[in-house]
Amino acid sequence: MNLPECFSCTGGNYERRQFLRVGGLTFLGITLSDYFRLADTMAATGTGARKKAESVILIWLSGGPPHMDMWDPKPNSNFKPISTNVAGIQISETLPRVARHMDKLSIIRSMHSEEGNHPEGTYYGMTGHRPSPAFRFPSLGSIVSRELGGRNNIPPYVVTPPLSYGHSYMAGNMGPQYNPMIVPDPSKEDFKIPDLTLPKSLSAELLQDRQSFLKVVDHHYRQQEEFARFSKMDTYQEQALRMILSPNVKKAFDLSAEPDGVREAYGKTRFGQSVLLARRLVEAGCRFVTAEGFNHSEWDIHFDNDKKLSENLAPRFDQALSMLLTELEERGLLETTVVMAMGEFGRTPKINARAGRDHWAHCWSMVLGGGGIKGGQIVGASDERAAYVAERQVTIGDLFATVYKALGVDWTKTYTGLDGRPLYIANSIGDKQGHPVHELV
Amino acid sequence: MERKSCRKTTAGRRTPAALIAVLTLGAVCLVVAFAQAGEAGGNAQEASTRLVSLRLVPSEVRLLGADASQQFLVMGKFSDGLERDLTAQAEFSGSRPGLIRFAAHSRIQPLADGELVLTAEVAGRKATAAIAIGGSQDKRPFSFPRDIGSLLTQQGCNNTTCHGAVPGQGGFKLSTNATYPRDDYKWIVEGGKFEVLTAEMEEPPHPRVNLKDPEKSLILQKATLQVPHGGGLRFGPDSPQYARILQWIQDGAPYGEEGESENIQIESLEVHPRESVLDLDGKQQILVTARLSDGRREDVTQQVVYESINRSVVDVDEGGLVKAHKTGETSVLVRAPGRAAAVRFGVIADPLPSYPEVPENNFIDRHVFAKLKKFNIVPSELSSDAEFLRRVCLDLTGTLPPPNRVREFLASKDPDKRNRIIEILLNSPEFEEFLFYRYGEIFRWYGGATQLGKDTQLYGEWLRQSIAINKPYDQLAVDRIAAQGYDGPSRFFYQLRFIIPPAEMIAEQVRIYLARRLDCARCHNHPFEAWSQDQFWGMAAFYGRMVDLRDSAMDDSLLVDDPALKDRVVHPKTKKVVQPRFLDGRELPEGERTDLRMKLARWIVSHPYFAEAFVNRVWDWFLGKGIVDPVDDFRSTNPPTHPELLKALAEDFRVNGHDVKHLMRVIVQSRTYQLSGVPNETNRGDRLNFSHALPKPLPAAVLLDAISQVTEVPETFASGDRGFAAGTRAIALMPSMPSQFMDVFERNERKTLPEGKPEPALAQALHMLTGKTFTEKLASAGGRVDRLIRSGAGDGEIVEELYLAALSRFPTTEERTRLEEMIAERPRREAVESLTWGLISSRQFAHNH
Repeated sequence: MNLPECFSCTGGNYERRQFLRVGGLTFLGITLSDYFRLADTMAATGTGARKKAESVILIWLSGGPPHMDMWDPKPNSNFKPISTNVAGIQISETLPRVARHMDKLSIIRSMHSEEGNHPEGTYYGMTGHRPSPAFRFPSLGSIVSRELGGRNNIPPYVVTPPLSYGHSYMAGNMGPQYNPMIVPDPSKEDFKIPDLTLPKSLSAELLQDRQSFLKVVDHHYRQQEEFARFSKMDTYQEQALRMILSPNVKKAFDLSAEPDGVREAYGKTRFGQSVLLARRLVEAGCRFVTAEGFNHSEWDIHFDNDKKLSENLAPRFDQALSMLLTELEERGLLETTVVMAMGEFGRTPKINARAGRDHWAHCWSMVLGGGGIKGGQIVGASDERAAYVAERQVTIGDLFATVYKALGVDWTKTYTGLDGRPLYIANSIGDKQGHPVHELV
Repeated sequence: MERKSCRKTTAGRRTPAALIAVLTLGAVCLVVAFAQAGEAGGNAQEASTRLVSLRLVPSEVRLLGADASQQFLVMGKFSDGLERDLTAQAEFSGSRPGLIRFAAHSRIQPLADGELVLTAEVAGRKATAAIAIGGSQDKRPFSFPRDIGSLLTQQGCNNTTCHGAVPGQGGFKLSTNATYPRDDYKWIVEGGKFEVLTAEMEEPPHPRVNLKDPEKSLILQKATLQVPHGGGLRFGPDSPQYARILQWIQDGAPYGEEGESENIQIESLEVHPRESVLDLDGKQQILVTARLSDGRREDVTQQVVYESINRSVVDVDEGGLVKAHKTGETSVLVRAPGRAAAVRFGVIADPLPSYPEVPENNFIDRHVFAKLKKFNIVPSELSSDAEFLRRVCLDLTGTLPPPNRVREFLASKDPDKRNRIIEILLNSPEFEEFLFYRYGEIFRWYGGATQLGKDTQLYGEWLRQSIAINKPYDQLAVDRIAAQGYDGPSRFFYQLRFIIPPAEMIAEQVRIYLARRLDCARCHNHPFEAWSQDQFWGMAAFYGRMVDLRDSAMDDSLLVDDPALKDRVVHPKTKKVVQPRFLDGRELPEGERTDLRMKLARWIVSHPYFAEAFVNRVWDWFLGKGIVDPVDDFRSTNPPTHPELLKALAEDFRVNGHDVKHLMRVIVQSRTYQLSGVPNETNRGDRLNFSHALPKPLPAAVLLDAISQVTEVPETFASGDRGFAAGTRAIALMPSMPSQFMDVFERNERKTLPEGKPEPALAQALHMLTGKTFTEKLASAGGRVDRLIRSGAGDGEIVEELYLAALSRFPTTEERTRLEEMIAERPRREAVESLTWGLISSRQFAHNH
């Protein structure tokens, strides 16, 4: 594909950080907000509101899914609408299995964003901010894992597998300790997490014994003066040692512990296994997992939209998402896990000369549910061609505010830019405060 | 003031400044009291300190108009070299009392025209100032910027957390610190909501003044909390502020002075003192003088806003009186409409009984050591030869010295051996390679995804070539800014195969070459500095004519400036075409609007910011912290720690023809650079004044090369079908070359300019424990560990060799003994691997110190 109007689609330039990187863990000091603690106490005494969400799974459809062929069926789609398990809600026939779980998910049909190209759109969709040379804003996952803190030695923020436009899901100026751990393709036979697994030549005892050499070598130098940088690294070294030796962490990443039937049910693809891994990680205590697994911009269907969607993309997505919802419910995790599925934008109402659809940020759809977010709702509406917002525009900032509210995080919070300027963690269009979608949370 | 109990006291002698001090054995112990009653908490001074001279600041003043006033400072010079503020103790008198009145203890206002001499007296010493008064009966006409703007500033209404924020607050926008009074006037009198990206209003404007019923004006009702106000009560209905605004609205809310006088602006702020050293609990009044655009000077001490950056060190009240609280160093910011300045304060504790003589190598040391002496900090000893060798090798070449070179250097008795090694390093191929890495970072040599594209290659070759001939830095900048056609520097624009938009380009160039961050002004006036959105786009217009001439037959691109493209850069708010305009506001005259980037390049390299920006960056490379830090964030509210040093370095760089090698030589030859990292009691906490070497984290690429060097196992880099020869160094690669190690250790991707220093992260700790760089390299056949084991060397020799290779020093006796024991207790190979792991995982190794 070499489309002049879509320079970035041909890139691949951006997919570079292919390797494991891990953000910091704050599991030593649990950083739950007072509000969160209060809510827990209230729940325990039976006087308070429902339990708050504890983690998030973001299913990222890189490239931009065609909303009118999935969540918002319209006459300009060649697919038929089908009924769901919620009376009055219809979605496209491309998603027959998810249709049976519609009570768990709500559809926002009036998403509006501002960036119509992949790198910028992805950054915008994951941070709520337009790219700016003045500040690299942290991703939603970085903020959530920082606000909630880690649990059980599990890295609080994981991306599986690495996806395009790496800077979008990083912690930016918040600092590398809030970067995600990026794990390789979990569908591979030899899937393991580099650096979390001891090489054959190295036993746990030897690993620990090596520390005594380090102590002797650095002893004198370390006594000279105290630097914050040194003690930070000491903390990380202790954490790292604990992680490597922790059976809990090892287990969470061990997909072979899943029965074959379950692995099959998610689909034995990069995508299916990434979604399954997300479930395992959340179960083990992870705060935020971004699961992708489609190839670079695979949803960027500039040609043969209908064929690619119905034969390949939608079935894989339909299968894994419905299985995830089933399992989360069975395991009692749906109540505490927010599930969201979206891309960086939608696609053009018009089918182009190559039978494809191009980028469309004016109006598109996404779904979310779980973690106390109401399911079975439709928020907003598009016009007759799903081209523009007809009712109740929802922005990325509003979406983020909704997620923060479900997690018990103060959604009005700001972070201070390098220049001292306050920046919203739920940032809406025109750098204004986003607001939770009140119909859902 | 800190009072210490003294074991033994002797009577102190009374100093002329009427101080009593008490000395004890060895350590100085102070009990100080002022003879004048009620002056407790004044300046503490050393026992032997006496007042040497007195001066009045300013010493010459012209007061114009009935509203003029002047604050005076009485500064006393003491025998310990410090100048202390004695204003509070001074008695003032005028030679012609009828001409002035005292508005406060040390502030005068004119009563009648004429000339007089003002005298201040402290402890029998006198100082004088000449005062000329004119127009003493002329009231200044009303002016919105001065009368209302300054009030809003002092009340904090327009600070950046309130209505001065970029989108305003609660729908009401004011410019930060009343920088743009015309805009403020419009928003108050006509109303309207500020939109960041467009000039159009979303809603009908709602005026904040009510001319029919002035007391019902929203601006008054809000500030007095008669209607709910997120900012709370600013002033009450009985306050002078209320009265002033009400009077203004009753007068019909005029803008006031129009025409020429309206445009009189503050050109710059002069602060006195610029830098001050206070004793614990010492005080200092700040004097602020505005230089106006019509050439007049005016005392604005009472009209500006003060803010201490670190209030635990010094505190400042609204009148500009600074009080010291604890030892340390910080700045007090002074803000006036559109301008800001800073005063640096150091607070010192126990004065040193005697300050040692410290030798100086060159002018750098003169500046650095003078400040240290003033601040009562003694620099560390000269570094040991081993410390120096490792440091200078890493800083100049990014390479560790091999063990045999370390032995040789340490054994040499040549008194000039440091200078000799500096020259050897400056002329080595490794120097060029490492400078290429450093230039690659700031000039963003990054290349395509995985292959070395032709454009990347050409751009890299041009950089290497420029380094090889030690091209003057100004020439390098001109070449790069004005790049044309198919020349090497033009390839920068093609690395990503598209021409970077003008706005991004100019923001980046200004950050590199002038070390200012203009980025904010792209979308709105800069919230803290006087950079306007117009200035930003005026600069961007210089990049508005670049076009890509692609020769499809050759698959090559030519970069040219097309003179026909006159209207490509459009102001995002006004939607008008922007003409090229230099940062100082000068528009490029119509007849000269050709070859725009060359004009910009010449302007940039001749600007004083240019040399300062680069010498500061190089200083940061070598000393670990810029004189202005971060290096690309010069602004009035981020002052240099050593302003004179910065000027001197820049001047030396300029007069030596922007010779980069010369600059580096001067820095590494200085004693300041060569100080030890071992702190003493006086400088342990100092992180600002270069009193001892601070550890600099090695960049990812240098660290990886160092590990390869110590283990003698080269890293192989490959991507797809493209590989690099074994032994290719990490510093020579573009950052798109896959490397897990360098990703984990936060290499700079060069998609943007580097920001900050590498920070520790958990991923690094994990990689150190189990990653292949830290495991496979140790066990590799043919590597250093393997070689040493096979060589038949004894444990002691192995320890020594590994220490020399990794840390460029011999192990201490204690280390050697302990490590030999540890090796003997374990399987030998495993133990030597563990020791090597310990060495390359240590903080000592990961830093240059």
